[in-house]
Amino acid sequence: MGVELELQLFNTRDCDLTPVASDLLDLIERQPHEGDVKPEITQSMLEVSTKIHHRHDTLVAELRAVRDTVVASADRLNVLVSGGGAHPFQHWSERRIFDKPRFHHVSALYGYLAKQFTVFGQHIHIGCENGDDALYLLHAMSRYVPHFIALAASSPYLQGVDTAFDSSRYNAILAFPLSGRAPFMLRWDAFVDYFEGMRKLGVVESIKDLYWDIRPKPEFGTVEVRVCDTPLTVETAASLAIYAQVLARHLLSERRPLTEEIYLPYGYNRFHACRFGLDGELIDPVTGTRRPIAEDIARTLEALSEHAQALEAHDALEPIRRMIEGAGNDAFWMRSTYHASRSLPDLVFRQSQRWRGRH
Amino acid sequence: MHASASHTRAPETVETLFFLPSWPPQIGTLTIAALTLLVALIAGEVVQRVLKLPRLIGWVLAGVVLGPSVTGLLDAGAIVDLRFVLHVAAGLVLFEFGQRIDLGWLYRNPWLAGASVLEASLAFIAVFTLLILLGVPSVVAAFAAAIGMATSPATVLTLTRDLRASGQVTQRIELLTALDCAYAFITIGMLLAWFHAEYHGDWLLMAAHPIYLILGSTLLALFFAGLARPLLTRLDAWGDIQRLCAFALVLIAVAAGEWLNLSSALVLLGFGASLRALDDRRRFVSLDFGPLGQIFLVLLFALSAAALDLSIAVAGAVTGLGLVAARYVGKYAGVLLTSRASGLSTRKGSLVALGLMPMSAVALVFVHETVAVFPALGQALLGVLVPALVVLEMAGPLLARFAIVRAGESTVPA
Repeated sequence: MGVELELQLFNTRDCDLTPVASDLLDLIERQPHEGDVKPEITQSMLEVSTKIHHRHDTLVAELRAVRDTVVASADRLNVLVSGGGAHPFQHWSERRIFDKPRFHHVSALYGYLAKQFTVFGQHIHIGCENGDDALYLLHAMSRYVPHFIALAASSPYLQGVDTAFDSSRYNAILAFPLSGRAPFMLRWDAFVDYFEGMRKLGVVESIKDLYWDIRPKPEFGTVEVRVCDTPLTVETAASLAIYAQVLARHLLSERRPLTEEIYLPYGYNRFHACRFGLDGELIDPVTGTRRPIAEDIARTLEALSEHAQALEAHDALEPIRRMIEGAGNDAFWMRSTYHASRSLPDLVFRQSQRWRGRH
Repeated sequence: MHASASHTRAPETVETLFFLPSWPPQIGTLTIAALTLLVALIAGEVVQRVLKLPRLIGWVLAGVVLGPSVTGLLDAGAIVDLRFVLHVAAGLVLFEFGQRIDLGWLYRNPWLAGASVLEASLAFIAVFTLLILLGVPSVVAAFAAAIGMATSPATVLTLTRDLRASGQVTQRIELLTALDCAYAFITIGMLLAWFHAEYHGDWLLMAAHPIYLILGSTLLALFFAGLARPLLTRLDAWGDIQRLCAFALVLIAVAAGEWLNLSSALVLLGFGASLRALDDRRRFVSLDFGPLGQIFLVLLFALSAAALDLSIAVAGAVTGLGLVAARYVGKYAGVLLTSRASGLSTRKGSLVALGLMPMSAVALVFVHETVAVFPALGQALLGVLVPALVVLEMAGPLLARFAIVRAGESTVPA
């Protein structure tokens, strides 16, 4: 399992995004550091990723170390760093594209979408033994996509307004032609044929052009869950990754038969998770029962306890338990923080303090 | 001077045709200011749209054209009458500039403090040495070098706002400019006392003076920030009332600084910076003076340009260019020697140095006012600095804009 986090970079004056990624990367690369730090599409965005981990403690330790490296360098440049799925008041027209051919290509192709794409997500990679396992896991996980969206939601504000959504970031991604769910196929050779077909038609060049909610990543031998907003703390990010890991183990060991029917309520459930977060409603595609997402997570955690034990992940899931038992997700924290000061710059500043580990 | 009487009409005509306007027209100070504003605004738009140059170059050109050297609408008398506009404008600029300064950054990155001290002192030393070598009296050389340390906050503020600039190079130019101003005004304060021989060779007095300037200005700044914070917080955020109250407070702070013999520049910089520091809920992050501030900003550029005597500039062209070069070498060396250590690439470091080129004509006007009681010193100072200022009034904004755009920090499409 591994984690990628897209981070926001903003100035200390008005807490608006600032194009500093290349300067920050220069500075980070000069010193020995843990984790991998890369540029992302705009200059106000930075991506950090971890090595492969099997356990929560090593994952969280690496995430903290890389966070501390980034924050220390950012301090020297008077730049603030934070999680959060979107910047609450940035204007997309002011974003600058990072100077790298692929990014310029994407920008030229998608126009304003590319800049509106200044949203920040967490990607969780789960290693799989083979392609068939990966595709099985991809589709079996789809039922749980609302869990991940609701738990990670941290983009209630966008362009200076409360969107009423817990995760508004997700709507920005839906505008892309190759977003949404993966087509239903369970055999790897079928997927390879599908992908080759798309490539011959010139629709895609590489897997990177597929912005699916969950996509296979053959280079890494993983399935990549991409629906999460970047949480406000590395601890939440680590817990979400562990939740995915335990869930994957559970799904692969049970290996219940799958049909395309599982996607019938998919769009509805996903919308509810984005809009209402943990209070949203989830329709089970198999049983047809409806219940709040928080309750569905609680039931899932119960069902997972044996696998959590096996992976020594019981404590790692504690933050998730707290969230569904009333502490709420990051979007909830952001709304209450904003209501205390009525200042979005202040909210952004407090996000950066939270990211540092000062709660 | 103002035409004081209408002497072109025979008295009996005036009596019979009393309803006709007098000739030549009596133009009041306010009207002169309005005409200057109008011409400068139009010139700014023309310069920006047709020549693709920064607007403020148009404002400067308007000042030159209206000034005594060309048309003379803004003659020496009018400039003296409008002095208060310059003081208010400088106060507004420095207050707004202070809000952009984060002194905590110096603590988080001590090399920046080193960069600042080094670049300012090297610029001072370079200019001072050059002028001494050229046979300029040391008092004049010292004043000129002190003014040369400062980068024009008005130019940097206008450019960064117009370009909607944000990033490392912009932030560092802003920080260094603010600190340069502080150093320059402290040095000038000391030089003035020195020149008036008020120290009487007393070292204690000499040490106490900068402490009074710095401490007094800081305390006054904190006083105003403490006053402003609760007031501005209660006023509707982003609203015009908040803005206008801040405007009034700035005017009062300028007057208070002058009355206490402190440096108004330091007081206003400090007022802005401490208001920001006290704003723990980030309510004033975008506090500016809107169109009201713009009026003063335009007049600041036009009036200070009008005050530059072009005939001096031609005569001292060689000295002027030498001074510009020496000042650049000093600043460039200071910034570059510390750029890697302070976490910036050499390329961006040299862009920061370019961004520090704009020189402050307002500083010269203020210093000239204070030393005017000694006409010889005032004249000599103008002779040395005006040529350099004329060059940098045009070249400074262009270089700074180049630096910001080149660093990729402008959000306005070129």
